[in-house]
Amino acid sequence: MLLRSIFLKEWLKIRWFWFVALALNLGILVYLFIDIRHQFQVEHSEMIWYWVFELRRLLYTEIKYIPAITGAMLAAAQFAPEMINGRFRLSLHLPLRNELLVGSWVLFGAIMSGLLALIDAIGLYFIVLTWFPQEAAVSAVLTALPWFLGGWVAYFGATLVLLEPQPLRRLTYLGLSIAFMSILFLEKGYQEYDRVILVLSACALLFVPAIMLPAHRYRHRN
Amino acid sequence: MMPARFARWSLLLLAIILFAIWLPQAHNKLFEYRFGKTHLFYSPVAKTFIYKELLGEGHQFVYRDREGNNYSREQFETLIPFIYYKNMDLWGKLPLELDGNSFDIQTIRKERQVMELKPVELTEYNPRIQLFPLLESNPGRARLRFPENVFRPGDSLEFIDSDHNHPTPSHDESGDHDHPTLELTEDFSAALTVAGFQFPVTATYGQVSILKAFDAGYFLVDNQDRLYHLIRKDGHPTVWRVALPDSVKVRFIKVTENKRRETVGFLLDQENKLHIISYSTYQLIPLNLPGYNPDTMELKIIFNPLYRTTIYSDQENIYAVAMDKEYRVIDSFSRTMAMAAPRLPDQIRDFLSPFRLELRDPNSRYFAMQLIWNGNIAIFGSIAAMLLAVAYLRLRGYKPFSHPVDIALVLLSGFYGLIALILLPPDND
Repeated sequence: MLLRSIFLKEWLKIRWFWFVALALNLGILVYLFIDIRHQFQVEHSEMIWYWVFELRRLLYTEIKYIPAITGAMLAAAQFAPEMINGRFRLSLHLPLRNELLVGSWVLFGAIMSGLLALIDAIGLYFIVLTWFPQEAAVSAVLTALPWFLGGWVAYFGATLVLLEPQPLRRLTYLGLSIAFMSILFLEKGYQEYDRVILVLSACALLFVPAIMLPAHRYRHRN
Repeated sequence: MMPARFARWSLLLLAIILFAIWLPQAHNKLFEYRFGKTHLFYSPVAKTFIYKELLGEGHQFVYRDREGNNYSREQFETLIPFIYYKNMDLWGKLPLELDGNSFDIQTIRKERQVMELKPVELTEYNPRIQLFPLLESNPGRARLRFPENVFRPGDSLEFIDSDHNHPTPSHDESGDHDHPTLELTEDFSAALTVAGFQFPVTATYGQVSILKAFDAGYFLVDNQDRLYHLIRKDGHPTVWRVALPDSVKVRFIKVTENKRRETVGFLLDQENKLHIISYSTYQLIPLNLPGYNPDTMELKIIFNPLYRTTIYSDQENIYAVAMDKEYRVIDSFSRTMAMAAPRLPDQIRDFLSPFRLELRDPNSRYFAMQLIWNGNIAIFGSIAAMLLAVAYLRLRGYKPFSHPVDIALVLLSGFYGLIALILLPPDND
């Protein structure tokens, strides 16, 4: 029951930002559709297929940083208000273990940003499928997986930075999050992360328990 | 509080992983130098191996032969006149008299060819969407062009129209010759079946390009490990069964069309033995390559009017085998390149931590998180880092071994752990 109330409170807090993020994500998908369509209008189909299959040109890099921007934005919507006037301290006095409370906040945020990434993935699949055989659509989604993971890392990284009370430590969290994000956008062609995405996802899971540290430090700060 | 401790340990671990990836990358960016890469050739003039190597910063090249004689750059180029034939022409040294034969510029040009094979080209290191355009090999025009369809190797050879992104364009009646992909699927699959091919296709090899001398089509492996060669000629399939010796099972084929039409590519078998595939007869010419490892070594064969020289190397060793025109070995040579000599920045990197995580494997397009051990020198680095960690904790007012997990992490990860500890010190809980 309490969990439901927490989720409801979080939803009320971020709903407008979430709808803005949804509009941004859908807007980029529409743009991607128009852009690929335009490519096929001005260039021969067999040449584009050659660029894509053989030269490994990615036609869908428009969406590359969108999950990351979305993730950081949702974290800001959720936790920037908590940082104003010590509201966070107030929340930590709710009759619920702090880990459960903070855990349910980030669970909610991760679900909501994951939902947008899922919309992106489905959109990407069907847009690519419009002009390419299924192999290329599957390949596009596999290629975009590290970008979607980047969305979650951005969400957890921004949450760490926002919840942390001490400025120097914030910089450390920012640095670690950027260092992780920088691993996820290095591709030169398709499916280069196929053999490493699971390991990277496992490493990214370390961000989840890490969120408890700034909450703990916030509560016990002097 | 336990969860806060777990939280901090996760962060320490995360920081160590990220340092293990990024600090060695920073080392590479700062200290990598083209220093020492050897260029090795067989000289048809001196009948020995000669090489060029960068020794120091700038352009301090050494031009030397196997016997240790040094040459000037011009002398060096004169020793491999078939490579520098344009300079020879400029310097008035053509036609060239060698072994009682005379070689003018046309003869040299006609006989020159280079074939290359790199690990990154092998199937397992190279993600490839399995859709391939089958070019018309008799285009009846000056240049090759891509067809408006690709084939999907599977239970048949299914052709897909690129204009309509469909195997059979929906608005077409069957049999409409404007978009005959259905017909192509039937014709080409049937031609393969008639030639004895057993579907499904298990591997497809070809060179997808229109910027090549001609089109040699594709080599396809069937589910009985038999090899077939397919081309599209005048719109119709032409299929040959390629007879392989019993001992040869295909691991990889690189098709490389050259205007000399002497060879059609490389065949790498599952024993990692490399063969040249002769043009038209498909005769396999096994190459005798001591020390060759296709997974780590780049290889090239330089053809000239007198010899075939195979040169292959990884980051440390370079090998060369000189052969006559019938691929009989004449001479061979190997050498550890100057770039393999350990350098101070590498030793410092190895001292700082027991391991590093390499994201990029130079021989693969796939990213990896390859764990590389830095060697025994890291033991000293790890102990040093641990002592510094103890001193640091003491300085911050903790009892020396009040944080055993932190100390253990530093001992296991060396300076990565120490930096992580300094950035994320324990709280006073």
